[in-house]
Amino acid sequence: MELNRRNFISLMVGGVAGMHITPLPWKLTDDIAIWTQNWPWVPVPPAGAFNSAKSVCTLCPGGCGIEVRKVDGRAVKIEGRTDFPVNPGGICPVGMGGLQLLYNEDIRFTRPMKRVGPRGAGQFADISWKEAVGILSERIGGLRKKGAGEAIAAIDGNSARSATALLVERLLKAVGSPNYLRAPSLDDTYSLANLMMLGTDGPMAYDLENSDFILSFGAGLIEGWGAPGRMINAWSIWRDQETRGKVKVVQVEARASNTASKADQWVAVMPGTEGALALAMAHVIIKEGLYNKEFVGGYTSGFNEWSSFVIRQYSPEQAAAVTSCPAEEIRSLARAFAKSKAPVALCGRGKGTLNGSLYESMCIQSLNALTGGINRIGGVLVQDHLPLASLPDITYDEVSRQGVQKARLDHAGTPKFPYAQSVASLFAKEVREAADSRIDTLLVFGSNPVQTLPDGGLFRKALSKIPFIVSFSSFRDDTSMYADLVLPDHTYLEKMDEVVWPAGLQYPLYSLTRPVVKPLYETKNCGDTIIELARAIGGSVAASFPWKGFEDVVKHRAKGLFDSAKGLTGYKADSPVWKMMQKAEEITPDYKSFDDLWNKLSKGGFWYRPVHNYGRWDSIFKTATGKFEFVSTRLQLAIQGYLRQNQADSALSGLGIGAGAQVAAYPHYEETNAQVDTKVYPITLVPYEMINLASGSVASPPHLNKTIFDNQLLKEDSFAEINPKTASQLGIKEGDPVFIESAAGRIRVRVSIFEGAMPGCVFVPLGFGRIGWDEFTRGKGANPNDIILPRMDPVSGQPVWWKTPVKITKA
Amino acid sequence: MEKTKRPSLRAWLEGGGFFIAGFIGSLVIGWVIFPMVLYSKQPQPMNFNHALHLNPEKVDGIEGETEAERCLHCHGFYDDGTFKGIPKLSTCTECHDNPESPLGNTPEEKAFMDGYVAKDQEIPWLAYYKQPDCVYFSHIAHVKNGKLDCMVCHGEHGKTAVLLDYEANRLTGYSKNIWGKRISGLKTNTWDRMKMDDCAECHSKMGHEENNACFVCHK
Amino acid sequence: MEKKHGPAKGNSYGMVIDLDKCTGCGTCMVACAAENNLAVRPDESDKQRSITWMRLYKVTNGKDFPYTEVSYFPRPCMHCDHHTPCVSVCPATATETDPHTGIVSQIYTRCIGCRYCMAACPYHARTFNWWDGYFPKGKGIERYLSPEVSPRMRGVVEKCTFCHHRLMRAKTQAYTEDRRELEEGEYITACTEACPAQAITFGDLKNPEHKVSRLAKSPYAFRLLERLGTEPKVYYLSTKDWVRKLGDNYLPGEFKPVSTVKAG
Repeated sequence: MELNRRNFISLMVGGVAGMHITPLPWKLTDDIAIWTQNWPWVPVPPAGAFNSAKSVCTLCPGGCGIEVRKVDGRAVKIEGRTDFPVNPGGICPVGMGGLQLLYNEDIRFTRPMKRVGPRGAGQFADISWKEAVGILSERIGGLRKKGAGEAIAAIDGNSARSATALLVERLLKAVGSPNYLRAPSLDDTYSLANLMMLGTDGPMAYDLENSDFILSFGAGLIEGWGAPGRMINAWSIWRDQETRGKVKVVQVEARASNTASKADQWVAVMPGTEGALALAMAHVIIKEGLYNKEFVGGYTSGFNEWSSFVIRQYSPEQAAAVTSCPAEEIRSLARAFAKSKAPVALCGRGKGTLNGSLYESMCIQSLNALTGGINRIGGVLVQDHLPLASLPDITYDEVSRQGVQKARLDHAGTPKFPYAQSVASLFAKEVREAADSRIDTLLVFGSNPVQTLPDGGLFRKALSKIPFIVSFSSFRDDTSMYADLVLPDHTYLEKMDEVVWPAGLQYPLYSLTRPVVKPLYETKNCGDTIIELARAIGGSVAASFPWKGFEDVVKHRAKGLFDSAKGLTGYKADSPVWKMMQKAEEITPDYKSFDDLWNKLSKGGFWYRPVHNYGRWDSIFKTATGKFEFVSTRLQLAIQGYLRQNQADSALSGLGIGAGAQVAAYPHYEETNAQVDTKVYPITLVPYEMINLASGSVASPPHLNKTIFDNQLLKEDSFAEINPKTASQLGIKEGDPVFIESAAGRIRVRVSIFEGAMPGCVFVPLGFGRIGWDEFTRGKGANPNDIILPRMDPVSGQPVWWKTPVKITKA
Repeated sequence: MEKTKRPSLRAWLEGGGFFIAGFIGSLVIGWVIFPMVLYSKQPQPMNFNHALHLNPEKVDGIEGETEAERCLHCHGFYDDGTFKGIPKLSTCTECHDNPESPLGNTPEEKAFMDGYVAKDQEIPWLAYYKQPDCVYFSHIAHVKNGKLDCMVCHGEHGKTAVLLDYEANRLTGYSKNIWGKRISGLKTNTWDRMKMDDCAECHSKMGHEENNACFVCHK
Repeated sequence: MEKKHGPAKGNSYGMVIDLDKCTGCGTCMVACAAENNLAVRPDESDKQRSITWMRLYKVTNGKDFPYTEVSYFPRPCMHCDHHTPCVSVCPATATETDPHTGIVSQIYTRCIGCRYCMAACPYHARTFNWWDGYFPKGKGIERYLSPEVSPRMRGVVEKCTFCHHRLMRAKTQAYTEDRRELEEGEYITACTEACPAQAITFGDLKNPEHKVSRLAKSPYAFRLLERLGTEPKVYYLSTKDWVRKLGDNYLPGEFKPVSTVKAG
């Protein structure tokens, strides 16, 4: 027996033959095939019991109802809710992608942190809650000891009048600082316009679903304005086979946006001249006697003065020169509007993430008054704020009593901005320009001013002069990159929070979010953090926050709903609220006691009041004259007050008013052009908003990147839309990289040639160019806010961001 | 002319011996060693006596006409019709609710009470019958609509007193029960194998050819 | 002759998308991606590599300012009924048309990644996984994945399945209620459910009771590249001639406007 060549071959052949009658080759072949189908790094989502939790989306002020599908405790899908009054089942793409904001450790602060790297680098080290609260309370306590409470400032983006916003404001007052700032929003402009003309600063309530002529001055009705779930559904109703042709939608805008394209009529005007168009329409309506004589004659004041001004200065021909809209189009639009049964004119810009112009809003509201559309079905409803119980008085000590009386850094409430609540951009300017910043500590709540303020990067620059910045954000967003200390909030899917009157809704609605999943990390509801912080500061500050936790505050407030108004907590999709509101009857609440109401609310529930008292024109206006004021008494007083302090002539320009003192209190058109040479900067930069690109403080969930076209974002470059004519004048082609340069700076974008862009303008989307977040978002595209010249809208003091003179050069 | 040298008989036999050695060697490798190498063994975290729990005389509430009904007592459906699979601890504690007073007197139960019930901790069972992620299987369609007994696929599992070690295919990660306990892949019972062809074969036999469309069982 | 409507021997699921109602918001795309575990890459701007089942196309009427109009085509898989182009070319039988639902399947574990189907599909409804899904360790983004749809590996083609798992979900629910047949609306796709404009209608084209079968017969209804004869089960509605004209290629004078036709 020797293993020679022949025998070896025999052995092998025997082996191979034998192998074939074993399972090995066959089974192995099968297994290898299966092996290639199950790579260990391809995730296998764990199965379990399907269940769902209802809540409310707070990614924008729209407050749409959501239902989160879960597998055991894990959320796997967000869907729209059909048992919620605001949105019958639909939500917007941002809300749809919300789980990507919950489940992504790289974009979240998982526990309190302090900065370890240079500011803006986003390097943080973990600390405990105890340490974090300790650091901040000691700092605030230290400032208070020095009697410098006003050195603490806060900028807050939580929706106005919500419990969290009230707690932030309360904290500031309790520590002795007047410097509570709010991120600007369209709601501020609405409230201010209502205060001037109606005498109440209630929410703007457009009864759009019952209207038959919707004239929108720039509001992105299907692009995120109001509650997107509601608005797009309303749009669908207008486009139903049955109603088609009965409801007319007209969009006034400089660009063929989705709203403009899908509207029945698109009226293109120069950006910022919407007010002039409205006045020219008023001119036609007045001159041709098409206005509602009963309303105008009986329940308005100042009509004669204002109408002769409008007749004198705003003929369609005069307005055509300003707006570039042909006079004949203005005339026919005005006639069609005034002759409709229930027309409504609404103002706004894009989603309403940013403020509008006060005078422009007043001009547009005048159209509603002329047609008698105030507090009429299908018009603008006059509504009071929700009857939520107010919080008990703040306990002041000597420091805080003196502190809150000191001057605000942003001059809001001074004769210059008599009715402004806060002007964040002026605050930034003061901090930036002051030799020594009086602000020591800035608290950032629910907002992202570095990204969203249209101020040419002013706020970001101002941060370098503030010694200590504290972020309360859930996310590693653009502003928190500059924070020295982070006390992270839960995300909206992990906490209880209030939605106080969703943006643009025509009836009162209050809803509560609830934790649909257990908090994933060591984060804390911002309201609880504030209470805890106050307790750590101690003394009168602690005494001002007597609650155990945030939920107590919310419950206390909700009691007011029970005590002072009748509402409903249930809703059926087959009787939408706008239909219920057609019958002005009283309702019987569907809850028996407060405990019953609270029980329903705290499970992601809601309270709403689907009835309205229309008309009542003799009692609804809270102005000095008790009427709708075409000429605002409040504005007159303010202007007189200012003029008394500042000597004559040029004084009004200090208010930013270019028109004469005579007309300053009228709804009129203000040319808020920047003081730059239009020969050097011949193009107008117009930022715009897209519904599938989050432009607020929170960035888009990554799924949305799939919906962005490659002529909107390509690799790291976002695109600017330019009319082919303008492009050929500039000698640029589709896809060319260019610099858009204003006096405030420049951004690099690529060019997308679009016939729907007004010639002479360049349109750049808001929402790109973020510096925080993770690789799905960071560094993609340019942020037009970086080059917007900080200019002020007269009286309101808010930034004029909708037109900036720029030049375009090839990059 | 020189004659070609032919191998001797002895060489032939010797070669045949090597052939047979190789042949047998392969058989040993293929039938004995290969399965040993292919599968990893892991004991279950604790024992579970199916036979005991399915005995209506010993366990209250385990009733029902058919075997399936008795199995469904613990391995039931959620309200939406999806299958619960291996029960959660909460199902066990419907009866074994108090760690202080076990229902029987076995050390297994004591270990279960101390180790899981007292600590409110789920038992990390290893599932014998788990199909890969690409497979969609509707228990309700088979058990309720098709009136199949659990045995058709799961065999005598409900009659066992002892949980066998869990064996996983090292290459694919699948449980051994998918391919079946026999490495040959031959089956004498319907429950001997749970591969796609076995599903399809049964569908055809039962006259449900339409259920062999890809998406019926794939997701 | 094939009986088009009658007692359902199986169903023929299809979709009607009203382009007049569609606002181009993209919620359908996001709902689809979230529902079906679509992987997201850090760069999604390379549209030939970006994985989408439902995809929005933006079109314009090409007119000068201020007469420009934009519109959108949401495009799922058409689930072609006739000579389904992808099915007829697949060498691995990884895709097939189920005659009982009309749904064209795609089995990832069977797909060999040759991409012949992508070349065959006239609607670009199929995308290829050039990479494994992007789920880096430590981010925890895989936590939102749904167990109802199997995540894909690299090297396979994927496409819209009309949310087939939702059909199974609806059937499972029906079985618990001792029903074998589904009611209208019990099974709808994620995009249908999500559309805030209710522009998408989904149902059984064979069932005359279902809204889809009614809408599909509207004079404003059309399908994409209808004359290829693939019999897509996705219909579009538009009252605008310029939009309808974009649904196919026409010789000059060949397109018949129906703006004058009254809706039925």
